[in-house]
Amino acid sequence: MKHRIYEHFLRTGKINRRAMLKGAAATAGLAAGGALLPRGARADAHSNLRAEILQIPGVGSGSPTDADWQRVGEMCLGSTRETVEEGEFEGVELTFMGLNNQNTHNFLFRGFLKSWEDYTGARINWIDLAQADYNARLQQSIATGTVDFDIIEMGAPFEGDVLGRGMASEMPQWVADIIDMDDYVDYLKAPVGTWDGKTYRVSIDGDCHTFAYRKDYYDNPEFAEAWAASGGEGPWEPPTTWEQVNAHSKFLAGKTDPLTGLPAHGFLDPLKGWGGFGFYFLEDRATPYAKHPDDPAWLFDPETMKPRVNNPAFVQAIQDVMDLIAVEGAYPVDQINADPGTTAFQQYLAGTGMGLTWWGDVGAAARTSDTSVVGDVAAFSTNPAAQRVYNSQTGAWEDTRNESPNLAYIGWGVYVMAKTEEDPVKNKAAWSAAAHLGGKDLSLWASAYPSGFQPYRNSHFQYEEWEAAGYDRDYIEDFLGANLDSYNHPNGAIEPRIPGIFQYYSVAEDELAKGYAGQYASAQETADAIAAAWEGITDQIGRDSQIALYKASLGMM
Amino acid sequence: MSELHIVTEDQITPERTRRGKLMIRGGLALLIATALAQWADQAGLVDLGRTSWRPTLYAFCLFATLLCWAQVVLHGEQGKRTLFVLPAALFVVALVVFPLIFGLGIAMSDWNLASPDGRKFNGLDNLWQALEDPFYLNALWNMVLYTAAILVEYVIAFGLALLLNAEIRARKFFRVAFLLPLMLSPVAVSWMIGKSMFEPRFGPMARLARTLGWDNPSFFGSPEIARAMMMIMDAWTYIPFMMIMLLAGLQAIPKELHEAAEVDGASPWRRFWEVTFPLMLPVSITAILIRIIFKLKLADIVINITSGGPGGATDTVTSFIFREYRDRSNVGYGTMLAFIYLVLIVIAMTALMKLTARWSRPQT
Repeated sequence: MKHRIYEHFLRTGKINRRAMLKGAAATAGLAAGGALLPRGARADAHSNLRAEILQIPGVGSGSPTDADWQRVGEMCLGSTRETVEEGEFEGVELTFMGLNNQNTHNFLFRGFLKSWEDYTGARINWIDLAQADYNARLQQSIATGTVDFDIIEMGAPFEGDVLGRGMASEMPQWVADIIDMDDYVDYLKAPVGTWDGKTYRVSIDGDCHTFAYRKDYYDNPEFAEAWAASGGEGPWEPPTTWEQVNAHSKFLAGKTDPLTGLPAHGFLDPLKGWGGFGFYFLEDRATPYAKHPDDPAWLFDPETMKPRVNNPAFVQAIQDVMDLIAVEGAYPVDQINADPGTTAFQQYLAGTGMGLTWWGDVGAAARTSDTSVVGDVAAFSTNPAAQRVYNSQTGAWEDTRNESPNLAYIGWGVYVMAKTEEDPVKNKAAWSAAAHLGGKDLSLWASAYPSGFQPYRNSHFQYEEWEAAGYDRDYIEDFLGANLDSYNHPNGAIEPRIPGIFQYYSVAEDELAKGYAGQYASAQETADAIAAAWEGITDQIGRDSQIALYKASLGMM
Repeated sequence: MSELHIVTEDQITPERTRRGKLMIRGGLALLIATALAQWADQAGLVDLGRTSWRPTLYAFCLFATLLCWAQVVLHGEQGKRTLFVLPAALFVVALVVFPLIFGLGIAMSDWNLASPDGRKFNGLDNLWQALEDPFYLNALWNMVLYTAAILVEYVIAFGLALLLNAEIRARKFFRVAFLLPLMLSPVAVSWMIGKSMFEPRFGPMARLARTLGWDNPSFFGSPEIARAMMMIMDAWTYIPFMMIMLLAGLQAIPKELHEAAEVDGASPWRRFWEVTFPLMLPVSITAILIRIIFKLKLADIVINITSGGPGGATDTVTSFIFREYRDRSNVGYGTMLAFIYLVLIVIAMTALMKLTARWSRPQT
């Protein structure tokens, strides 16, 4: 769970203290009676453990501390005890590279693994990286052959760089048995985390973009009346397609925001780059046009690596943005200079605009951030669909409604490096640590408390567990439902896990910025410029290897 | 060379000469052999299991020591004189020349960190690519515009320096106050000024602009305004630097010159043009040249506020190299871009110094 969500619960009373006390009392009773239960009742011990760890430190008792992380780690040590002898890794030293964002990630891992270290005898050295330094550090380590870590916390987009080069260790079956990958939400299952049919990743997080919009815009009778009077197609209700998003955005230009009294605006596209991450937001618009349900590929042609970014589907998405740029007032005045950080935290949360697409942070911050004014009027859904989809195989549009949530960034996982295989004990130790962090119960705790990670298992969405822990059920269902629907969508768009994927995104941002600023004559010309730059990157990295790796990442080999 | 300061008459025997030469040649041979072995290992021609260039570094240190030592062996007292300079020269060679040579090697290679093939020599391909790269050429043109703005900065800085040099109230306070922007990190300026004060909806400058009749103020929305805003923010940060240099120059002008001109009946304007300005030319030229060097490194506020946009209007060479190198891991090309820029800067600065040499000399 993100810090902001948790703090919000604390501040706004979304934590249900009565339910929490009920849950705590029940948990204490069960724990006390556990020893007296007959053997058959031990099956409940697992659910007891889940309830018990959710009481640490107790929802409503302030933010967890290192002592809490250690306690949770110790309580979830069961599978380690079953697979590792006490002191089995005595003398083994492992190095773990991960993030130190907002005192989460590696900071929690230290606490979670304390009891693991005590029990197994292994010791872990930590390499903490800021998010901005992560890519450069990883790429340099790979390129210069200075992989100085045994375990890495890594996003799936980098799998091409690492797994594609055979730098990671294949997951042993005993680890797969512990972490129960069948419980993962659909999109985190293979091919994500796998390469050439082998599994390498212990997932610890999930990521996707969802659509956040303003309920008050759509509950507003004046808008509804004006929409009908203007001849707007269909009723005035939250958009479910990009065509509607654009129509509504144009309609809202010149209107007054019902919440702030300032000018109303439509959908908030970020028109400025964001170190490559900004391209995800054009993808949000493009995937319903471009991701055909019968074709796993949507960004490149897997046979040739020819970019699809200049096919009619992407051109339509770029054109949609350009159409809104041309309408005065559809966007806020300085939109050309707005990156995704601006659209989310300075615009949408501050009461500007009808809606946007973003990661879960916006859904959380809408109701938790001190600077958010849209907490009571924010609503969520999966990303809008399109009324037609482009079929790259036939080269023609199909007039069928198509949904394709953008599963942007795919989420963090833990990987063991292949170099540990030189020492079987070290390799087992590394996998044991990874399995401990990706354990089903420990991950539930990480989903429910501030950790930097979002729910990513189907079992994380058992809302009664959250309710018993003391959370407000309606809020949890509302907040997490959009994510769950995106995660398990049958036509979710998973980005290519190929080397240098952020290079493609970064150069696309530069060309899009020129296109949006009117330096190219058309959306097609802008898209062609991106495609040309992508071809250059593919040739530089190596076309044949990219094709092979792309196919492998799609599970086509 | 004069023999005046030689206190002993060294008797350099042929044997000693031979030993000295042997030390130099031996050290050099060891260095070359180690470097070649390292190169062969890196190129995969032999497998020596070398994981770093440290052996070559150690060989260089040994060579440097032997070279210094050999000066005394070969030249006696005269060699000791050489030791005052030679270690420093070798240090500079180690820290500047070697990295430049390595950098040149990287610049002449096709090296994308994501490529499984690693680094490949590609001669001058990166140079030709850069000369046709619209983003790079655009950034270079922007740098010309940014640099031209220094003339305006100079005029303002000179004016402020004159004010602070005058007998005004609270002069010391103003001197410190005017220096404050220089003390701020450009990153802080980006966020506090660019992202907060000029925020188009709630920022105080936007409110002021609306009050003044600009209905929808957008400070970074159009190419021209965005570029001008960058110039203004950078100027706001660095004008104090020029001002303080010019103020120091003003204070160094003997008061008698002004008094003499005043006695001769020169008006204040004439005194400025005939006395102050000519005397300030050497300081002015120095301040402008240093400011140009600072300006050519402009990147942080651009990266933070506009990322080079809209449409490349505010892009600088450094911010473009940052994207190419860091975001795209394009190490070879990024290094070549930096080298081209370095060469352009060296040529431009040398030419400028030559052109201004006449005015840079202290006026008498």
